[in-house]
Amino acid sequence: MSKPLEILLLDDEVIVGKRLKPALGSIGCNVEVFQDPELAVKRIAEKDFDIVVTDIYMDGMDGLQVLELVHEKLPRTKVIMITGYAMISLAREAMEKGAFDFIAKPFKPDDLRAVIAKAAKALGFSIEFNPKSVRG
Amino acid sequence: MPGTDRPVLETKRNDNESGETTQAVYDHMADIHDAQKTLLSRKHFSVRNQIYLGNVLVFLFALVMVLVLTLNNNQVQKRLKFLEFVNDFSSEIQQARRYEKNYFLYGTNLNDAKENIHLAESIFTTKSEEFSELLGGQFARQEIFSKIGAYKTLLEQLYQRGQKDQNNFHVTPFSKEIELKLRGYGKEILTSAQTMITLEKKTLEKTLSRSRYIHIYSILILLVFLAINTYLLVSRLYSTLNRFAAYAKRIASGDFRPILPQRNFRDEFTDLAIAINEMIKEIDLREAVLIQTHKMKAIGTLTAGVAHEINNPLNNIMLTVHMLLEDYHELSEEEIMEMLKDVAAETDRSKKIIRNLLDFARESTSTMESFDLSILLKDTVHLLENQIRFSGIQVDLQFAENFPKIHGDAQKVQQVFVNLLLNALDASIKGSKIQVIGTLGDTGDSVKVSVIDYGQGIPKHVLPSVFDPFFTTKSKGKGTGLGLSVSQGIIAKHGGTLTVKSEEGRGSCFTITFPIINFPEIHTFSL
Repeated sequence: MSKPLEILLLDDEVIVGKRLKPALGSIGCNVEVFQDPELAVKRIAEKDFDIVVTDIYMDGMDGLQVLELVHEKLPRTKVIMITGYAMISLAREAMEKGAFDFIAKPFKPDDLRAVIAKAAKALGFSIEFNPKSVRG
Repeated sequence: MPGTDRPVLETKRNDNESGETTQAVYDHMADIHDAQKTLLSRKHFSVRNQIYLGNVLVFLFALVMVLVLTLNNNQVQKRLKFLEFVNDFSSEIQQARRYEKNYFLYGTNLNDAKENIHLAESIFTTKSEEFSELLGGQFARQEIFSKIGAYKTLLEQLYQRGQKDQNNFHVTPFSKEIELKLRGYGKEILTSAQTMITLEKKTLEKTLSRSRYIHIYSILILLVFLAINTYLLVSRLYSTLNRFAAYAKRIASGDFRPILPQRNFRDEFTDLAIAINEMIKEIDLREAVLIQTHKMKAIGTLTAGVAHEINNPLNNIMLTVHMLLEDYHELSEEEIMEMLKDVAAETDRSKKIIRNLLDFARESTSTMESFDLSILLKDTVHLLENQIRFSGIQVDLQFAENFPKIHGDAQKVQQVFVNLLLNALDASIKGSKIQVIGTLGDTGDSVKVSVIDYGQGIPKHVLPSVFDPFFTTKSKGKGTGLGLSVSQGIIAKHGGTLTVKSEEGRGSCFTITFPIINFPEIHTFSL
């Protein structure tokens, strides 16, 4: 593992960022957390991220727009959508627009870790991920 | 335990439907019951009775008329007979006098004169008793009798003497003397007969003209009476039918107050009023069920929003708890405390998300109270927060300063606004806005709240039917077509109106007008 996986996490829920930063850090990812989509988009323009994890419903800009912006800039970046409004139509739209995966809230840290591991594999990274948290 | 509230709600509804709903909608049931009792407690005077009474009166009047006319006719007949009698009598006398004259002039036979006077006497004897009243009493009759007698005696005398002395007896001085006397009596009898005839003719004319007047007046009186009777009957039917037409209109517009007694008697229309009140009761019950059904539908929509929104705090709790479990031993006490506080805060947030919906869903007996529409609208927008956020639409509330309170059932009014706002959200496109504007009515005794969206609008040909029950433009399964109809019903019960203006492609504006405070109380309201 030469280079850590660069991840941008965008969710207007503060706690999501607070909890997921260490959760993903523990599997060797470098996580930057944003609550404001505008700031996140700015950061994406500055830096190339391997993975972008974004909420769909946010004030100002929605996750699908972020997805489009990310792919415009760097098509290889994997975008993972998370949302509380888990509807099939929404998931389908996200996947059609090229999202890597779609996670419905509420999820456990391991659920995201598993998806991230899958994405890392697709990107050619390998991250050690053994689900260790208590199930259920 | 929020989860248990729904089933409780359902069972309550079922109880209500089985007969206890009497209190469900604005306490109309008690009013209807009162109205029915008052309607029945009045004196009975049916239309049928009025018709009967009119006919009986006409019949009695006609009967009296016939009696009077019959009596009058009898009198006429009697007088005619009397005239005939006097005529006969006087013609016999005249005949007798003619023969008598001939006798004196030419010495002809006296027998004919005798016969005539005899006939006259017999006519008078047989008939005079019958007409003694018309003759002017016994005295007058007696007088005529005596005169006839005297005449007869003179004739007899003349005859007897004439038999003895055949030749030219009629020119003797004796005869001349008798002739004078005879002439005197004859003249007197004829004169009194003539007088009687003249008098009698006058009286007969009077009686006849009286009969004519009786005819004319009685027919006039009868006509007037019939006219009055018809007028009373027609105006009674007409005004009552008009009143009932107005009731029907009122009920159709959703005003389910019962029909109250307006006259001080009871008739066939009372039965109709009672039947209509029963109908109102049924419609009211059904409306209550409709309102509840529609509310359930709205709750369903809102629940979907809440179910999604609740995922956010739930996710926060889940992530935090799992991280606690994972890293518990590596975390400092401070970090653990912070995470626990987060969990506590997020559970609180969940509760708040559900509480609004539960408040809205809770079925309470409808209570009339004074409330502030601007606060109600704020709460309503809060209740719809998830839907609003989900559709990416901004909702602006603009209420005038010191917005007056209105009187009514706040829960039901909120249901109306939930419905209007959900419709507006449905019609709007992402990124547009919805305005809720509260203003004072033009006359100052009402308030207006308009819900304006800039969405697709309502096509012109559809606009007149948007308030019809079960009318919907939404796809099958999405809309019940009850929302606006139920809303209009609720507003009508508050004495207000719900109107719509819309332009296809530009947006729609639904305006509700409420009367301020003086919500029409059933007891002070007279139909």
